[in-house]
Amino acid sequence: MTADNARLPADGWGLLLDRTRPVTFSFDGASQHGFAGDVVASALMASGRHVLSRSFKYHRPRGVLTMAGHDSNAMVQIGAEPNVRGDRRKIAPGLAVISINRMGRLDFDWLAVLGLFSRFLPVGFYYKTFFRPHGAWRLFERPIRALAGLGSLDPKAHHGYYDKQHLFCDVLVVGGGSAGLNAGIAAAETGAEVLLIDEWPTPGGSLLFGRSHSGRAEAEMKRLSLLSRASRLPNLRIMSDTTVSGLFVDNWASALNNNRLYKIRAKQTVLATGGYDQPIVFTKNDLPGIMFADAAQRLMRLYGVRPGSRAVIATANRFGYDAALDLLDAGIEVAAIVDLRKSPDGSDGAAAKARGIRILPNTTVVAAKGRRHVEAVAVASILDRDRRGPSEWINCDLVLMSAGYTPAINLACHTGAKVVYDPAIAMHRAADLPAGVHVAGSVAGFWSEALAADHGGRVGRSAALAAIGRDTAPPAAAEDTTARDITHPWPITESPGGKDFIDFDEDLSTRDIVNSVHDGYDDIQLVKRYSTAGFGPSQGRHANLNTIRMVARATGRDIEKVGSTTFRPPLVPEKFGHLAGRGYEPTRLTAMHDRHLVLGARMMPAGLWMRPAYYGPKEKSAEAIVAEVRAVRTNVGIIDVSTLGGLDIRGPDAAAFVDRFYTFNFLKQPVGRTRYALLTDETGVIIDDGVACRLHDQHFYVTATTSAVDQVYRLMGFWNQHWRLDVDVANVTAAYAGINIAGPRARAVVEKLRTDIDFAASAFPYLAVRSGHLAGIPVRVLRVGFVGEAGFEIHCPSSFGGRLWDLLIEAGQSFGIKPFGVEAQRVLRLEKGHIIVGQDTDGLTNPAEAGMTWALSKTKPAYLGKRSVDMQIAKGVGRVLAGFTLPDRNAPCPKENHLVIEGGDIMGRVTSAVLSPTLNKVIGLAYLPVSRGAAGSRFQIRTDGGRTVDAEVIPMPFYDPDNKRQEM
Amino acid sequence: MKIMHCPLNGPRNIDEFVWMGDVKSAPEPTCSDREWTSYLFIEDNLAGEVDEWWLHAPSNYWFIARRNRITDKILWTRSPADYFSERKS
Amino acid sequence: MPLALLKYGLNPGFRDAPQLRWQPEFKSNYDVIIIGAGGHGLATAFYLASRHGVSNIAVLDKAWLGGGNTARNTTIIRANYLTPEGVAFYKESVELFRGLSEEVDINIMYSERGHFTLAHTDAAMRTARWRAEVNKHLGVDSEVIDADEVGRLCPTLNMSEEVRYPVLGALYHPPGALARHDAVAWGYAKGAMARGVEVHPGTEVTGILKEGNRAIGVETDRGPIYAGKIVQAVAGSSSRVSALAGFRLPIKTIPLQACVSEPVKPVLDQIVVSGSLHVYISQSARGEMVMGGSTDPYGLYGSRSTLDFKEGLMAHMLELFPFMAELRVLRQWGGIADMTPDFSPVMGLTPVENYYIDSGWGTWGFKATPVCGFRMAECVATGRQPDLLKPFALDRFHNFDLVGEKGAASVGH
Repeated sequence: MTADNARLPADGWGLLLDRTRPVTFSFDGASQHGFAGDVVASALMASGRHVLSRSFKYHRPRGVLTMAGHDSNAMVQIGAEPNVRGDRRKIAPGLAVISINRMGRLDFDWLAVLGLFSRFLPVGFYYKTFFRPHGAWRLFERPIRALAGLGSLDPKAHHGYYDKQHLFCDVLVVGGGSAGLNAGIAAAETGAEVLLIDEWPTPGGSLLFGRSHSGRAEAEMKRLSLLSRASRLPNLRIMSDTTVSGLFVDNWASALNNNRLYKIRAKQTVLATGGYDQPIVFTKNDLPGIMFADAAQRLMRLYGVRPGSRAVIATANRFGYDAALDLLDAGIEVAAIVDLRKSPDGSDGAAAKARGIRILPNTTVVAAKGRRHVEAVAVASILDRDRRGPSEWINCDLVLMSAGYTPAINLACHTGAKVVYDPAIAMHRAADLPAGVHVAGSVAGFWSEALAADHGGRVGRSAALAAIGRDTAPPAAAEDTTARDITHPWPITESPGGKDFIDFDEDLSTRDIVNSVHDGYDDIQLVKRYSTAGFGPSQGRHANLNTIRMVARATGRDIEKVGSTTFRPPLVPEKFGHLAGRGYEPTRLTAMHDRHLVLGARMMPAGLWMRPAYYGPKEKSAEAIVAEVRAVRTNVGIIDVSTLGGLDIRGPDAAAFVDRFYTFNFLKQPVGRTRYALLTDETGVIIDDGVACRLHDQHFYVTATTSAVDQVYRLMGFWNQHWRLDVDVANVTAAYAGINIAGPRARAVVEKLRTDIDFAASAFPYLAVRSGHLAGIPVRVLRVGFVGEAGFEIHCPSSFGGRLWDLLIEAGQSFGIKPFGVEAQRVLRLEKGHIIVGQDTDGLTNPAEAGMTWALSKTKPAYLGKRSVDMQIAKGVGRVLAGFTLPDRNAPCPKENHLVIEGGDIMGRVTSAVLSPTLNKVIGLAYLPVSRGAAGSRFQIRTDGGRTVDAEVIPMPFYDPDNKRQEM
Repeated sequence: MKIMHCPLNGPRNIDEFVWMGDVKSAPEPTCSDREWTSYLFIEDNLAGEVDEWWLHAPSNYWFIARRNRITDKILWTRSPADYFSERKS
Repeated sequence: MPLALLKYGLNPGFRDAPQLRWQPEFKSNYDVIIIGAGGHGLATAFYLASRHGVSNIAVLDKAWLGGGNTARNTTIIRANYLTPEGVAFYKESVELFRGLSEEVDINIMYSERGHFTLAHTDAAMRTARWRAEVNKHLGVDSEVIDADEVGRLCPTLNMSEEVRYPVLGALYHPPGALARHDAVAWGYAKGAMARGVEVHPGTEVTGILKEGNRAIGVETDRGPIYAGKIVQAVAGSSSRVSALAGFRLPIKTIPLQACVSEPVKPVLDQIVVSGSLHVYISQSARGEMVMGGSTDPYGLYGSRSTLDFKEGLMAHMLELFPFMAELRVLRQWGGIADMTPDFSPVMGLTPVENYYIDSGWGTWGFKATPVCGFRMAECVATGRQPDLLKPFALDRFHNFDLVGEKGAASVGH
């Protein structure tokens, strides 16, 4: 077949081509020519190249099989994109296409030598060897991994642009063949909003390549007529070049087109997805030139390419005869049609016979000959399922298979439909479809042209009625008896020498299936996993049915009893990029964010928020943190605490709610005072802490940690469903900005602002809360002791946060006010011995272990977790959190989670530790056994490199033990 | 994306909801320690129809759904007020 | 060695002895019945037969051999847990895994790749150190490494600081490994069957037969079978089966989904997990990326696949490996995970005499297959809870003795 006469004339051939636009691309570096509308495989075939790839295991030459992207034989690499289906990817000017999975050239692959060893590589051979002596697999794995895989990923490739779109419709029709188009049209005519999705550049399904009674022209006329009717319906939208990749519960579908993932919500779905051709199994049935009849018709009709010059057609239905007539019309010789049926209906072959084609009934192909392309096939009569008559060789360079289909029920199975085998027609069908999902056309068993179209229309109409709320029972259509004449029940001739392929992707022959069963893997699931049948890129489309047939025969069971594996998403492979889309990651910023950046803050994530860790360059972080700590201790510092959780609790039962929820006593908390609020869950584990401010008799404002507030809010809502107290809870975290100004000069700074709050120590004592205004900004001000200096935590509405920050910075200039970040705050709180929930507590810490029994009410009957806390205290707590220092001033500071070791056992662990700039020594918190938690107790910490340091328990707080500074 | 019919907001995508487990009543405060820890940790984990707490997160609305834990079919959803008053009667 | 393959090619009629042997009928009684023919149940049978001389065993399964979570997990093996109890336990499993191919005479393709638990926050780095310290103390090879070292050891990982959650460092566990999950089940089955153990798939247990509080047999859809001891090892179905025996478990059954990509040439050697981003990934010997994430958002006795799972997974996966945008998902599936409050298993004795349990395996079961089988066999053979299993006793919850592994289960939460 030379390049010149591989193209068919434009009249009636090459429907998808634009011959006025030639396109030049390259394949393995060599320049190639085609037309706009060609796909890689059609352009290459037109130039005379039939070998498109090498098979996975034996590197056998492979060529076009489906011409529909349903197989893996035309897989190529294009740039950074691996595993492109070359029989569906359109060529473009300058496209650089590379063949994959070969060493050397595609036409001379060194690794084809593996095929010579195939008889030494029985099914599952890698389970039987490669593991002795001990460690052998390590050595063998490397070359095996290098041989595996098809295309390549480039670790330097850029992440391209992908996005997503939502679509809504009343009726989704999947598949634009005759049944689908009729369904879509009927649904739209019934008044529904219809979306029809088809994977080809233009709809038509088998009308795009097949014949209708009198020929191709009639098929095309029917197709255009349907499209014309469709175009006149404004409520029918057709999306072409789009593939539905999955169907999920409640009619949620995923579809792919270019770089977009569509997520579709339909009320009803009609699957008019047709079927997948099934191969005939015989010796060397994988040679290039052996393809499905549909594939040959697509090559000619859509791409104007002659697939060969002399053909043998093996068929078990009328479609093989249709293909024969098309071949003749294209000037291709048809040497013979072998019909696998014992007594085929004469009407199928009448036209072929009339044109002089030799027809051999009750005959099948038993072998093929050729090296890189089929050169001849042997045909023989079928004596019974397993025996064949004498062979006759027929020369040919093209073999078309049309022995049957398996209905494409995959999408129905995604939603839970069952796979059921119907022995009358030798095909599977979908059963137990969920409400709202329908099948129409050949996928539902309607194979006659007229009945498929009619069925599509009925199902479309019924789906539309259901969608618009006028439920009717689905139409009872008569069974299509011609379905019995579509698929041959045993298109298999086993080859003694292997190379009779059941699974092209995985290079599996019939004997691999037989041997799997013999090895003891006799359940269809085990056969598939052991042999890997169906695990390749085409996911068993052409392998499942024959595998099931072979297992049935080998185990002596009926095909129904063998069962089938189900079908899972995706129907076609989906790119990671499609699924990720643009990748939105929300970030929460405080009102003062830009101020921090201007001040040179190094920002760090705190949950979804960003907070300043410290101010200054990364290389000088340690010095910056020390300076910030010193500023707070000796002068005045300012920190943005906007991310802190805030919960407004209002109502007649506000106090009762807070009292029931947190561990401390709140019923009698005076208005204008704050109290520490510790939260345990029902199992007694500490989950959060904060400060509860009583602003009013019926109004509490409770803070929570940044990372836990959402969970706390959720828990409050959940528990009040049970307690049913008269209270409203609002999560106002984002509504308020927060600033903590702390240090001996803090009051002086604040008092410089115009205010109606009396900040004097006598009027505003430690632990009080006041509401009022600062510079006209409404504020709530708390005096809390987290960092251990006199200070004010000021909450204002977020929109004022930036302004308040500016005013305080300005007011503090003359005092040398210094902004400080999370790292400095952590040091300051540790100097006071305050715990951080989630760092000094873990997922199982109860209040007694954390030294927080003082925060547990002794009098109230209930709080969340009380019973469990009491039980664990009664049982006896095993560990306690203790403050420590290192007696040796030169010993290195331990890190968080270094372990306390004694007698070779783990005795505890460090949770916080730092070299305190204020105290000039290492201080920390560690869990120790209760008996060792008293001041003076000595223990050892294992630090980096296994080096142990001595530590000693000392009383807390480490700094200002009498708490005078924070009460100033 | 599965659809959940919120009693307040109507049909919404399931990713707007948070599952909070079985509707359970705490044992009496006078129960034994073992009864208490069973309540905390031991689950019915029924493979059947179960009444569950659900939260519609965007609107902070709590409600109860009866769902089949094998088929994932949601039989009905109710406001807590309706659910508990029906249970009483 | 591949020399063993010669016999297949040189003698055309050569056939191996079958690896799996089946008995169509079962006897009326056995010494032990194991409910569940997954990796754990089969391993228990294997060790009972090979270490304790107990081979009069029937392993029953309502579906096909190894078809539960054993067939569905993402094949990661490691010992870098958080608690000393957990580390000691998984360490023994890794040691058993290392010699397993030779012990069961099947190549389980055990491949040490190095396991990286990426830390994207300070809190995660702290937890990494905690795990590293406990691991080292118990002789398990783990260390905390910084961002530079992560970038050096995982050259294809995106270490940019411009992403939403940059990598700060990782817990590095060199012994982290992959294995062929099906082959583990097949190997234990083969070894057990060779010693006379019977496996009966397609047999559903519908009741536990008791005399007072003593288990004496099971009712199945093929009739009753009696046995001196009964073991249940049924993962997500644990509560359903224990209910037949008359007790409940601290388990919530929640689906866990996973997926694989199309096969490509090797580009990722390591096993990479991110707790913050809730994703994990490795590349199998076939070239497929094997990936998973968190458990589903609500409980269900089902393994259905969702689009939501893939979308969430890939949004985060591409932060770590942006170049994988061009790679395609080939197949997705789900398993049914039995989640416990402390992310540790529930094993050993039960309130019913002669009835033993192996459950609570959540998202952490495959790696424990050998140690579970080994120690459950010991428990069943001796009738006593082995020391290594004492922390995982069912009763621990009543004493608030939870073994808190939530910080170390990859991304199960």
